[in-house]
Amino acid sequence: MFRINKTSDMLPAIQRGKPVTISVDGTPIEAYQGETVAAAMLAAGIRTFHKSHKHQQPRSLYCGMGVCYECLVTINGVHAQRACITPVEEGMQIETCKELEL
Amino acid sequence: MIESYELAVIGAGPAGMEATISAAGFGVRTVLIDNYPQPGGQYFMRIPSAFKVDYENKTETAGRKLINHVLKVPSLKILNCLVWGLFQEDNGSWLVALYGENAPKYIRAKNLILSTGSYDTPIAFPGWTLPGVVTSGGTLVLLKNQRVTPGKRALISGTGPLLFSVAAHLIEAGVEVIALCEANHILPRGIKHAFTMLKQWDRLTEGAKYMKTILGAKTPYKVGWSIVEARGHEAVEQAAIAKMDKSGRPILGTEQVFDVDLVVSGFTLTPNTGLPRMIDCEMTYQAGKGGWIPVRDADCQTSIPGVYVIGDGAGVGGAENARLEGKIAGASVAKNTGHLSPSREKQIRAEIQPGLHQQQRFGALLSDLFTPSVGLVSLLKDDTIICRCEEITLGEIKEAIRMGARSIGEVKMLTRTGMGNCQGRMCEHTVAAIIAHELAGEGVTREEVGYYSIRPPLHPLPQSFLADAVPEE
Repeated sequence: MFRINKTSDMLPAIQRGKPVTISVDGTPIEAYQGETVAAAMLAAGIRTFHKSHKHQQPRSLYCGMGVCYECLVTINGVHAQRACITPVEEGMQIETCKELEL
Repeated sequence: MIESYELAVIGAGPAGMEATISAAGFGVRTVLIDNYPQPGGQYFMRIPSAFKVDYENKTETAGRKLINHVLKVPSLKILNCLVWGLFQEDNGSWLVALYGENAPKYIRAKNLILSTGSYDTPIAFPGWTLPGVVTSGGTLVLLKNQRVTPGKRALISGTGPLLFSVAAHLIEAGVEVIALCEANHILPRGIKHAFTMLKQWDRLTEGAKYMKTILGAKTPYKVGWSIVEARGHEAVEQAAIAKMDKSGRPILGTEQVFDVDLVVSGFTLTPNTGLPRMIDCEMTYQAGKGGWIPVRDADCQTSIPGVYVIGDGAGVGGAENARLEGKIAGASVAKNTGHLSPSREKQIRAEIQPGLHQQQRFGALLSDLFTPSVGLVSLLKDDTIICRCEEITLGEIKEAIRMGARSIGEVKMLTRTGMGNCQGRMCEHTVAAIIAHELAGEGVTREEVGYYSIRPPLHPLPQSFLADAVPEE
């Protein structure tokens, strides 16, 4: 739940892309080009990505590679997008725990 | 107008890239399709193009070379694109159904090479749906590819050598690792594999590097221990672990509880076999290879002529094994399409065989030591969610079995397990293990329990897209 900024053998320092601002449930958070929506949200300390339909339980990133569909968020009004494989873009509007309106 | 190819390769990881390089190199008209914006797969995933790094390790160098090679090979690449269906036409050709922003809706191919890789075997335990429970693969992608950690204080639990890599990377990232739990009792069985291990020098030196970091941080390595429950309200706050008996059941009274905000779950890998199942390739159950895998001949061809499955998606064997299988399948397609003489193809296969055998021997060692124990189902409680998508509990699954369900298909029909967004990938392993466990007294085996049948669309798609997806000539 933080960005790794120190350098080490296995994780040598990197230079992130240029800073962008995205909004999560109306709150602006900082992110960097190249990051996924999930990485930016976790780095900002946001853990609950959506609530389960039946029991309204908090759910979050689990598999991290687009298989489990547990990191679903609403992106720019489009429901049920996988945060773990969607790159951030300047001005992106993310909504967590949004119910699909039928 | 649907474009026609001699070969469609689906999945651009180590296996799919080698298959494309091989087949297209011999002149086969090839299209390579992948879900990600860059080839590489999970193993050779590059850091995002917007990031810059001055140093790359041996694996990253090998990956970059392979990716650059495949990008140069004359063949079409369709990236950022899901394959949601495969439909065989009367003349035997395959209609490959695509969903991607810049992708055509369909392409047509005479031969298929399916190289769709694997994913972390999802092992259910009480609390596994809480935010803060993350797979090994997911954790490594965040650390290596995004340079973000999914927690500050972690417990790692599972089985297999990948746990060392996860632990070492977390420690170097600055995450406090409370303990590394290896669920299997590996030590007594490990001795007989010493000789095979010694032939894997690269893997040994890599392992030694991880061990140095883990020992340096004084992280306890607990063999024969496993997570039994993740606890918390809105996210993980605590992890309970226990000592396991020889059959993989927790021993009463051994429980220890730690305050953590991250539980990494890494119980080896499961082959991603959605596409071969969808087209009814004959399947076989091999626990040591990760579960259900397609039956194949020496060319990696399935029970359906012209359809090949290679790499981890055909049985977990690692990246090097995947690359070699890619070369074999690519040459076989080149031979069958008349681009390569049978004698030259035979010669190519003979050159690859020794390396492949070495990989297979090592794979056998890993599966002997690290196959997740069937006893892990005893961790579950009646109110534990097993199917994450449809929120079906152990109690509901047991009720379906009491009502007479004997196969995973019947449990699915009665309870809706496996009918959600993930198409059963997250619950199949556990649901099948539960049925086999409950009906063990009647002699029902894991094979008889079966697997979820897969129908198109393979991934959830917008209805507006599907409504408009009828192929035109």
